[in-house]
Amino acid sequence: MLHACIRPAAWLTALLALLAATPAPAEGVDEKAQACAGCHGENGVPQQKTMPVIWGQQQGYLYLQLRDFKSGTRKNDIMGPIAQTLERDDMMALAQYFSQKPWPNLQQPRAPAGVAAHALQAMNAVVCSSCHQSQYQGDGTQPRLAGQGKDYLQQSMIDFRNRSRANNPGMSDLMLSISEDDIAACAAYLAGL
Amino acid sequence: MIANQTVSAIAGALMLAATASAQEVQQSPTSRTAKPSVTPSNVTQEMLDRAASDRNNFLHTNGDYTQKRFSPNTQITPANVGKLRVAWIFQTDVRESMETSPIIVNGVMYVTTSFSHVYALNAQTGEELWHYKHSLGPITTYCCGPNNRGVAVYEDKVYLATLDAKLVALDAKTGNKVWQSDVGDPELGYSETMAPTAVKGKILIGTNGGEYGIRGFVKAYDAKDGKLLWTFYTIPENSVGVWATKDATGRDMHRNIQAEKDQLAKTGDPYKTLGGGVWQNPAVDLATNRIYFVVGNPSPDLDGSLRPGDNLYTNSLVSLDLDSGKYVCHLQYIAHDVWDLDAVSPPILVDVRDKSGKVIPGVIHGGKTGHVYVHDRKDCSLIRFSDAMVPQENMWVLPTAEGARMLPGANGGVEWSPMTVNPQLGLTYAINLHQPMTYQVQSSPYPGGKLWLGGAFKAIPGEEQWGNITAVDYNTGKIKWQVKTPQPMIGGILATASGLVFTGEGNGRFRAYDAKDGKVLWTFNAGAGVNAPPSSYMVGGKQYIVVGAGGNVQIDFKRGNSIIAFTTD
Repeated sequence: MLHACIRPAAWLTALLALLAATPAPAEGVDEKAQACAGCHGENGVPQQKTMPVIWGQQQGYLYLQLRDFKSGTRKNDIMGPIAQTLERDDMMALAQYFSQKPWPNLQQPRAPAGVAAHALQAMNAVVCSSCHQSQYQGDGTQPRLAGQGKDYLQQSMIDFRNRSRANNPGMSDLMLSISEDDIAACAAYLAGL
Repeated sequence: MIANQTVSAIAGALMLAATASAQEVQQSPTSRTAKPSVTPSNVTQEMLDRAASDRNNFLHTNGDYTQKRFSPNTQITPANVGKLRVAWIFQTDVRESMETSPIIVNGVMYVTTSFSHVYALNAQTGEELWHYKHSLGPITTYCCGPNNRGVAVYEDKVYLATLDAKLVALDAKTGNKVWQSDVGDPELGYSETMAPTAVKGKILIGTNGGEYGIRGFVKAYDAKDGKLLWTFYTIPENSVGVWATKDATGRDMHRNIQAEKDQLAKTGDPYKTLGGGVWQNPAVDLATNRIYFVVGNPSPDLDGSLRPGDNLYTNSLVSLDLDSGKYVCHLQYIAHDVWDLDAVSPPILVDVRDKSGKVIPGVIHGGKTGHVYVHDRKDCSLIRFSDAMVPQENMWVLPTAEGARMLPGANGGVEWSPMTVNPQLGLTYAINLHQPMTYQVQSSPYPGGKLWLGGAFKAIPGEEQWGNITAVDYNTGKIKWQVKTPQPMIGGILATASGLVFTGEGNGRFRAYDAKDGKVLWTFNAGAGVNAPPSSYMVGGKQYIVVGAGGNVQIDFKRGNSIIAFTTD
């Protein structure tokens, strides 16, 4: 399935056909979820570094992202069309399904001491743990950050910063208050937790 | 076919609900096999009314309806507090930020933890009687930690408000759920961390969500069945006000009134998404049947351009009629706030001297600004404000895109932490934070229940942060004494009639001070942040002091999971 993500257009057509053919949410969640593995991984390890881990992610967060992909407040060429095929119950069922999977270990190294200190100073200044919790495990609609892919984390924070990811202006505001160097340190630190 | 499917779906859902409900309460290991060592008893309205003089119990989040947190107990004194020792420690299942005010009813203690758990304990031994773990829904949207500040008790029930914006009534004897009501929609940013208030058959509750563009409220529910009795929106449909240019202390807030008027003409009144959370309990004046509470910040916090007007009743003291929920009076501390220096610490009813020196019923509030505000209870008008308890600098500079430095930082002054009053000394005691911050503004439209700050407040790296405990003479506004602490202070404080004041710190210290002069009389290190308000009670003829040590999310103090009770031999 790796090539699916490399050639999204062809793969997406097949995936949308699969999603459209799957039955109502309660019965079809396994099949619908199977379609997600193409990018997010058969075993929860994403196929590409810019794809997020969704296994073990918070249910409320996953639901809101699907909702936002559907409404267009979060834009993504792959996820937008997929979310269009989903109703609220589908989204909630998928979110629950993936939230109950174990979080995969991406084998990312711990950040060096200097990088960690840099990250903690930036994160303490804007109190990231206020929403993402003390061990960055997330809760409810707040995502887990600990152990998420480093490249995805960094790109997400940059996207918030330049508002190309527009579905959480509060996050954009916070990312604008720290520097891109801070963001790089935060991504390395969080990925290695 | 559809009908059949629906019936089986409902039956399935009911089975699931029953299973979930059954799993919510866990009896303690000992109570499964042996008779509980103490049985929870009923709480009458008469008991709640006279809580201020009740030596055995601690029946309200803030001690009694006036919220003085002034224990009548005198067994532990300045002379013997040095011998205070641990009576017992109870460890909860949740190692996360702890803000609970322990409630004690005839030897039974109720405490809560983050993520909306409740424990009933034997107040003499710490033995667990039952544990209720609320089944949180998938959607929780909250700022500043998964905290819970405690329960209310009334008749045979214990009341809890939850992170997923439910109000839950539990059977005090078993912890089983009796009823549950929706308070707000968590997908729109509503959540609950405050303790409810029980009074005259009503359960009063406010809401969090000022960081998410909610429309704030205080609601009253029927204690028996959870039926909604009234709603007071903290944001009226006409939220514009009088275009105040100065704050309650007379300082210019640098508003651009013409720009706001132009915006109002263009977009209309912003009341539907204007915030105005109520984070803490109302005080109840039993003589006049009025309640007094404070309302938090407008949404978005730092960007005033989208919300023209005074943004009533944000950043205000508000009084309502208890029976009807109708407005009586208000006083707005900061109109059109763009610094999140809002009103959070619960107001206290106390007799005060007015400007002519006459003693009148008053109400006081400790602000994030660092002032204690003293009001006439009759019409909410401001009599005086205290000396600043923390450094103030550059007030009220407007936030900028680059970030403008101003003190206090956005946590205060006095955060949600309740103050206490020793009426014999005419002093109120507040715990304060000093956190130098910059205020940065960024404009973005209402995001539909997502975090909506309109910018950022950022602690300035490298600048020293600290806290203090401050005793203020509310009849003069003068600071009587002040003790500096190494970390910013957040949690709560308790005074006793024997002349003591108890409060904890983020570094784990829990201390007793002489109420007259602030001398440190006793210190205990709890091993995790003591960032919760203490309570006092008596069992078996002995006085106890109890406090939670679980740290704090907002300032990121070390987490723990202990409830610690102290007594003297």
